[in-house]
Amino acid sequence: MGQMHTRMKLATLAALAAGLALFAPMGATAQDAPAAAVEVAAPVDVATAPAPAADAAAPAEAPVSTYTPMAPTKGKGMPTDPRSGEPGAMMKSLTFQDQYSDNGEYALWMHDVILMPVITIISLLVLGLILYVVVRFNRKSNPVASKTTHNTMIEVIWTIVPVIILVVIAVPSITLLARQYETPPADAVTIKVTGHQWNWEYTYPDHGDVNFISNMLPPEEALKRGEPGQLAVDNRMVVPAGVPLRIQTTASTVIHAFAVPSLWFKMDAVPGRLNEKLLTIKEPGVYYGQCSELCGALHGFMPIAVEALPPAEFAAWVKGQGGTMPGEDAAAPAAAPAEAAATEQVAVLTAR
Amino acid sequence: MATTAEGFDAHGTGHDDHAHDHADHKPGFFARWFMSTNHKDIGTMYLIFAIIAGIVGGAISGIMRVELAEPGIQYLGWWAQLMGGADDINTALHMWNVFITAHGLIMVFFMVMPAMIGGFGNWFVPLMIGAPDMAFPRMNNVSFWLTVAGFFSLLFSLFVPGGSGPGAGTGWTVYAPLSTSGSVGPAVDFAIFSLHLAGAGSILGATNFITTIFNMRAPGMTLHKMPLFVWSVLVTAFLLLLALPVLAAAITMLLTDRNFGTTFFDPAGGGDPVLYQHLFWFFGHPEVYIMILPGFGMISQIVATFSRKPVFGYLGMAYAMVAIGVVGFIVWAHHMYTVGLDVNTKMYFTAATMVIAVPTGVKIFSWIATMWGGSLSFKSPMVWALGFIFLFTVGGVTGVVLANGGIDDNLHDTYYVVAHFHYVLSMGAVFSLFAGFYYWFPKMSGRMHSELLSHLHFWTFFIGVNVIFFPQHFLGMQGMPRRYPDYPEAFTFWHQVSTYGYYIMAGSMIFFFVNIGYALFAGRKAGANPWGEGATTLEWTLPSPPPYHQFETLPVITDEHDYHDHRPATA
Amino acid sequence: MATLPPTLHDADTGRRNLRVGLIAFMGAVFMLGLGYASVPLYRLFCQVTGFGGTTMVASQSQAARAATLATGQTISIRFDATTAGDMPWTFRPSQSTDTVTIGQRDIATYVAKNESSRPITGMATFNVTPVQAGQYFNKIQCFCFTEQTLQPGQEVTMPVLYYVDPAMLDDPNMRGVEQITLSYTFHRAADPVNPAPARTN
Repeated sequence: MGQMHTRMKLATLAALAAGLALFAPMGATAQDAPAAAVEVAAPVDVATAPAPAADAAAPAEAPVSTYTPMAPTKGKGMPTDPRSGEPGAMMKSLTFQDQYSDNGEYALWMHDVILMPVITIISLLVLGLILYVVVRFNRKSNPVASKTTHNTMIEVIWTIVPVIILVVIAVPSITLLARQYETPPADAVTIKVTGHQWNWEYTYPDHGDVNFISNMLPPEEALKRGEPGQLAVDNRMVVPAGVPLRIQTTASTVIHAFAVPSLWFKMDAVPGRLNEKLLTIKEPGVYYGQCSELCGALHGFMPIAVEALPPAEFAAWVKGQGGTMPGEDAAAPAAAPAEAAATEQVAVLTAR
Repeated sequence: MATTAEGFDAHGTGHDDHAHDHADHKPGFFARWFMSTNHKDIGTMYLIFAIIAGIVGGAISGIMRVELAEPGIQYLGWWAQLMGGADDINTALHMWNVFITAHGLIMVFFMVMPAMIGGFGNWFVPLMIGAPDMAFPRMNNVSFWLTVAGFFSLLFSLFVPGGSGPGAGTGWTVYAPLSTSGSVGPAVDFAIFSLHLAGAGSILGATNFITTIFNMRAPGMTLHKMPLFVWSVLVTAFLLLLALPVLAAAITMLLTDRNFGTTFFDPAGGGDPVLYQHLFWFFGHPEVYIMILPGFGMISQIVATFSRKPVFGYLGMAYAMVAIGVVGFIVWAHHMYTVGLDVNTKMYFTAATMVIAVPTGVKIFSWIATMWGGSLSFKSPMVWALGFIFLFTVGGVTGVVLANGGIDDNLHDTYYVVAHFHYVLSMGAVFSLFAGFYYWFPKMSGRMHSELLSHLHFWTFFIGVNVIFFPQHFLGMQGMPRRYPDYPEAFTFWHQVSTYGYYIMAGSMIFFFVNIGYALFAGRKAGANPWGEGATTLEWTLPSPPPYHQFETLPVITDEHDYHDHRPATA
Repeated sequence: MATLPPTLHDADTGRRNLRVGLIAFMGAVFMLGLGYASVPLYRLFCQVTGFGGTTMVASQSQAARAATLATGQTISIRFDATTAGDMPWTFRPSQSTDTVTIGQRDIATYVAKNESSRPITGMATFNVTPVQAGQYFNKIQCFCFTEQTLQPGQEVTMPVLYYVDPAMLDDPNMRGVEQITLSYTFHRAADPVNPAPARTN
């Protein structure tokens, strides 16, 4: 019965995903509706969703993409299964995923070297003291209780020592926060992530508005492709590795959270506002994440897959999507007349 | 001192037949249990209610743990149909959100709070301060029935449409806009209304406790002589009084946003969904202290009793609770680290949150210092208290980890958070509840429970909850998000372990219920003070169970050399 | 009532209890009021401090004053547009980035088109990132100040007249900020004549 239910779920999910995909991009870009619908209704195994812009400036021959989704590396960018039998798998399953961003490495260092030892020592100290009083001061060993109720010295000590420990923790903690809030440079690669019920939409505003929807792959399809079930998606968020990324998140209906554990990255996607954070991925790879704010029935079924490529391959991928790299933007001249029209309207507005 | 002794003789030992009759005059069944104005009867009803709610909430967690034992969706569809939902996957998955919501709301508002404040608070605050009853006995009754009505409103919400299926699937946090435009149907309205009812009941109760503690103390019972449990209830009552109205305002705005076209939290009309989170957590963080402070108080009484020693650093203990209560109001945004706060805000909340570790540490070390040099006996309340101290420490230190905004970026909304708050609540609050229950059960019922069954209950429960929740730290660090009905294969192992832990924990509850049954039907009669010379608070000077009306002549606290010892001189 | 303990009939205790009880209850009522007051207070707080990336509104004269402080340093501005889930408009910036002189006013335009077959009124919410830039991002004129109604198929170009306050150069929190993103989200305004279709999940 369990099996049957599972299969039913998968089939329904797949159908549902397709259905959702038809409606999700509505209003997301300046495309007319039919084109958008065609775009996302394309079969999922065409990993290269056609660019939203049926760009007149794009080369006439349809871009023959050389891009094939990168095969994920086991144990990288995904949780580790302790049952896999590989050496160290059990130990790896007890702690954080390996980190692939500088801030992630710093945060992991802070957890492993400062927080973890401190909390372990405190817990063991308390446990040790409890066991000691249990052995030393039980009714048999100590039939007559002392009447001590005060000791100013020790009370001061157990107030001051925790304060010192907290200050020791606060230093790297504040450093970590300051690093996480560094702002992306002007030329950072910008990716806008929009949370929908229930899939993610990725937009590359500096790359010819490349825009696509990313849905969860049905788990058996994921397994067929050698990817982890419930984490794999049809269209990955492809980014260059080693380059600063400006990740911006928002949502269309309810709050979601864009989270990738192996990059130490989590940011809410809130309808009506834009959030932004800098992310630099150290090396190419596939990094999986999941929606991390309750967003309705399919909250658990809108995973995130970030594929970091060497910059040259990223540029090729952008081309394959029908997009352009910054600097070769053909649309620039169009801005002038728009601005003229705008000036007119400003005049009208100010006249009011 | 002589006056005290006389005061107690009058009804305590029952020599005076007239006084005894009067003190034990009880109304008829309906008047006694439905229109009750007696703090002990109301306390009993709260405890029974909390146990029933706990069974419901615990059963729901069982449904969730069984579902999570394997990847894939196993039983949710069956449950959705049982609740009257459609036979499709969306309804089944919505059912999951309904379960997490109901589990959270029931455990917080209808199990822990009624048991601690309504149950033990009502029973023992008047007894401990030498008062004949609560200040507003009729309002006390209103508080209880409002809570019951709230529970029924929540149960009712499970069977009416709430979006993709029956029930409210918003999480106990009821975040907008998922709870407004994101959930169609009356279920969320009923869930919100249930919070209104329970909240109103708690606000009235808080008013009652504050008045009782300020005005109704026996002569000589100064604030600094009050037992720590009374202190803890006093601080809790202030937290309730100041935090719950903010929740009431926030959820009322949710209701009008849902039904009357206002846009308090709707960006389309200039509202801000993030403001709802600020309001909710302005309530929500004090709320977690509301759930644990009375537990602190109970642990202090129990540790002192079974160490035969007064509490170490009484004033430090009392004011540590005050400090926790005050600081608890200025740390709320650590629940919102990922919402898009600016760097200075996040640094402030990181620092402020870590400050709470200091008074909490004072309490932990003071409990150990109370035992130090004592003469410990390991009766059932004491073993639960020892379990509490260790497990609450474990939950506390993971709180220090989560307090760091930069670390929380990874752990936020993962199972690490689930493990953390279950260590402080499911093991903190619940262990203190069981400790308090075994401590005061002989007093409340007049019967002794079985120490053997209580110890079996402790050890199996201790193992069970640790097996449930310790692996959840691993899952969280590996990235398993909370509120998920299904998960990637890699998480299977620790989820399975966690589910086995649930079976152990559920099995251990058999000992608890058998123990209650045994005590009520076959338990030894309990004397006025079954715990011996360490039990020094006033309730132990009364017979077990205490007379229907106690302290008709107020006891006088004249003891000057040691303000922890409240026993009248002749006791 | 017979079940009441006799001490409660003591009139003095009763009066004192009532007083303390009422004071406590007033405390609760005060917090309830504060809960509601938080809505306008929070809005005011954001508008004054730029909390959460809320932009400022500036007058022409303020803009003129800022212009005199311009040092010639430039900053990159990114324009972002989103439509809410139930909004049948397309909405995009005319250009995705622009470089402006800090202190000098500039115009940016957005293009919105009503793709539905009925008139729709929209209201835009906005913020800037990084959020600490909110207090330095001043709008003189903006389509987001008022509701916008578009006829079926109508396309409009909508301007925003803004400047970046040179005071940002003195704020350590703004150090290293090379680009400010101005983001708008168009929501369907409450419209009794053409209500949004009921959502079905």
